[in-house]
Amino acid sequence: MKLDIAGSETIQTDVESLWTALNDPAVLTRCIPGCKAMTETGPDAYKVDMQLRVAAVGGSFEGEIALSDKQPPRTCHISVSGAGSLGHGNGSAKFEIIPQEAGGCLLAYEGVGEVGGLVAGVGQRILGSVSKHLIGRFFTALRKEFETGQALGAAE
Amino acid sequence: MSAKPSQFRFVSSNRRVREDRRFVAGHGRYVADVVVEGMLHVALVPSRYPAARIISIDGAAALAMPGVHYVLTGEELAGGVDQLMNGLETPNVKRYPLAVGHTRYAGEWIAAVVADTRALAEDAAEKVRVEYEVLPYLTKAEEALDPSSPPVHPAHGSNVLLDKQFVWGEVDKHFAESPRHLSFRVTWGRNSTVPIETFGVTASWDPWREMLDVWASIQMPKYSDQISRALRIPTNSVRVHQDVDVGGSYGVKRGIKHTVLVSYLSRRLNRPVRLLEDRLENMRSGDAHGPERIFDVDIAFNDEGIVKSMKMRALDNAGAYAGRAPFQLGKPIGAIVGPYKIESVAYRAQSVTTNKAVQEAVRGFGQSPTNYAIETAINKVAQACGLDPVEVRRRNFIRKEEFPYLIPSGTHYDSGDYHTVADKVMAHVDYDALKAERDRLRASGMLAGIGIAACLEPSGGNSSFEPLLNEKNTTTTWMDSARINVDGPGFVTVTIHTTSSGQGHETLAATVVAEVLQIDPDRIRVVRPDTLASLPSNSPVGSRMAIMLGGACFHAAEKLKAKFIKIGAHQLGVAPEDATYDTGAVIDVAGGKRIEWADLVNLAHRQFHLLPPDTEPGLEVTHVMQVPTGTKLPENGRVQMYPCHSFEFHCVLVALDPDIGKPEIRRYVIGHDCGTVINPHIVKGMTLGGIAHGIGATLLEEFVYDDEGQMLTQSFMDYLLPSSHEVPEVEIVHHVTPSPFTVFGQKGSGESGYLGAPAAVSGAINDAVADLGITFDKLPIRIYAISDAVAAARAKLNQEKQSA
Repeated sequence: MKLDIAGSETIQTDVESLWTALNDPAVLTRCIPGCKAMTETGPDAYKVDMQLRVAAVGGSFEGEIALSDKQPPRTCHISVSGAGSLGHGNGSAKFEIIPQEAGGCLLAYEGVGEVGGLVAGVGQRILGSVSKHLIGRFFTALRKEFETGQALGAAE
Repeated sequence: MSAKPSQFRFVSSNRRVREDRRFVAGHGRYVADVVVEGMLHVALVPSRYPAARIISIDGAAALAMPGVHYVLTGEELAGGVDQLMNGLETPNVKRYPLAVGHTRYAGEWIAAVVADTRALAEDAAEKVRVEYEVLPYLTKAEEALDPSSPPVHPAHGSNVLLDKQFVWGEVDKHFAESPRHLSFRVTWGRNSTVPIETFGVTASWDPWREMLDVWASIQMPKYSDQISRALRIPTNSVRVHQDVDVGGSYGVKRGIKHTVLVSYLSRRLNRPVRLLEDRLENMRSGDAHGPERIFDVDIAFNDEGIVKSMKMRALDNAGAYAGRAPFQLGKPIGAIVGPYKIESVAYRAQSVTTNKAVQEAVRGFGQSPTNYAIETAINKVAQACGLDPVEVRRRNFIRKEEFPYLIPSGTHYDSGDYHTVADKVMAHVDYDALKAERDRLRASGMLAGIGIAACLEPSGGNSSFEPLLNEKNTTTTWMDSARINVDGPGFVTVTIHTTSSGQGHETLAATVVAEVLQIDPDRIRVVRPDTLASLPSNSPVGSRMAIMLGGACFHAAEKLKAKFIKIGAHQLGVAPEDATYDTGAVIDVAGGKRIEWADLVNLAHRQFHLLPPDTEPGLEVTHVMQVPTGTKLPENGRVQMYPCHSFEFHCVLVALDPDIGKPEIRRYVIGHDCGTVINPHIVKGMTLGGIAHGIGATLLEEFVYDDEGQMLTQSFMDYLLPSSHEVPEVEIVHHVTPSPFTVFGQKGSGESGYLGAPAAVSGAINDAVADLGITFDKLPIRIYAISDAVAAARAKLNQEKQSA
């Protein structure tokens, strides 16, 4: 089944720092919910191992992430595909970083995903809210990165 | 041969179903209860995509886990077994238990993992890495007719498995002559029977005996033939144990791919191997889906509502392989005009492949969808003529004096009294009062409607649809058998030669043999030998066992009775014609002397010197019974399909809140005539369960695929079954019109209720919303579909009112 994903979040940092953080596997490993490891397999291409638990359902996934159409430090396409015990999915999204007059940046994203297998077959009714929840967790973690200065530190 | 009901001792009497005791007390023995020492367990790797080329399968990580024995791929399996049987002439639609090279539906089995426990096998299955190249796919039957659609089997050349046009009678002339015509489309959603017990099988290859033992939750004709053919071993090297209770079926326990898979693995690994589907495997890939069908119907009729001719096109979505789906378009030909005197019919049967799970046999073998289409037509004729739907049916019914009645497609209906059954139901329900109740509900702001359905249940299962749809098939028998043995001490044992999935065959066999021998049924033991010790049986399909197993038991018992008379008459010194059999004894009619059961048995078993000449010692008889009326191959597209035709007449009152849209069945009355009833409890159970099943098909149940070819309803959270909230109390009105073609006048009842409930319930909903100018022409009719359509229709009506 298809999933439309779109939204935007404000992050209290400057454009350059956010861009650097979003291109840093160490930051992404910490922020992507359930991400255990992210290994670079080529330029802008990574293999990820995830252990995800949502409500009563949990499982492990292996996936690939690739970045393309990069226009530093503003926009980038990200494509994700993965499969595991709960099913499989793939998707692509466009990120855009927009500096805000009041300070900080707006990170806008829009994309489409497709999931199948067990996740689609038994979880379709909650899939929309689960994806929102996972995206929420990603941004909570990302904000925390800048609050604690880890991301900046990593960037330096 | 038929007899009046009053003559029966045990047939039709209120006797307990003998199997009930073990089921109620928890002593049923199912395939999961069969534990073979050293047994290994299988879990399956499902396909992620609806269509893909399999580039590689890597089982190394799975095999590295402790306790994991084997990872089997389709490629290896296809090298070791023959493809599964396909009754059509479609040699390039090849099917193996595991996908070979290509996967053709999401969930299809890609690989099988064998481990010490099922849990371990499941964990290891997650470690199997499959690399795919995704291919184009399709899910809709109408897309499959397009020659440019992606072929599910490229070697077959198209997605069309079957496209057969029949014309019975002068259809064009009748259409031209008829003053009124109407056309419509209805769609039957993909649903099934969903037994609580999923399919399971254990196979154990014994290399010393060179014998394959199989225990399975099976309901399928010619099971061991198919196993041996696929494994390329003689059928007498396959021993299927039939003393296994089957926890529900109604057609879907076919499991041949499961069986070939575990049988191969057992031979490969020299260990017993078991596969018990979990619910997900059952729902998405267990071959458990039923018909999914689009009907386009044209009807020619007159102002009096008399239907003269019908054109029907049925387009069936078979799924990824041929399975039994195409034949489910063939069986309804035997009752293609329902209970009506429609003079001519054009029927086009189309079956196509798509990237969905395979369709298998489901209760009625395509008859319930066809009945739904026919009954929708009759309702529309009533509406068009401004006539009451019951009156229109009465006008079109075949009359009782017209039986046996030859329908245009070549079947003689055996007997029936449709007018009387309808009258009895109308009297029972008080039709005028029911209409008044409907109008009262409407006046109170509810939507309310009455649904009527008059349907046939062809029974006595023959396989005439096979030669009808495939000229190379010349099968004209679909026999069943019984054996009776009276042992030395005089106890009676009847053997039956198939498994049962709740039909009560042990009760049936005991009742029939007891009736003929005039002894207490409780004195008779009924057993099921394994297939190597069995006589021919075609299993309980096609609503056939009361007729076929009951018939075989009857004829075997008659042979036994004749032998008793011969032995007794000889001993009494009279000719067999001058002796009679009475409650286990033989009597010299003139002299009045009797010789009792124990003495007769003693003579047969111990005193050969006292037996009449040319008499075999012992008391063992068998009978292999041919299907009544099944004598010929099809001629000119016409054939006698099944011998008997049960009748059911449904009357349903449905009410629903227009805002919520949830249909509530306020009254459900069914008139049921399956000829002479052998056990009333079994027939009642079938009818009530069939109605519940039909309510599910009408309102709730559907295997739904999304546009990406993924199945969305893999659990009971989403595949909704009717519960006690949806199933009302059902009132059954009985009627008996004996069949002239069966031993007691019995007909089938294994599909009763289900064959008319979808037509009746959908008819009631459509009556409820008719004033809003809407109809529901697609099953299941979900609550949200009703509330959305009602809201839209009311908004439109309000708008029209305002602008007017």
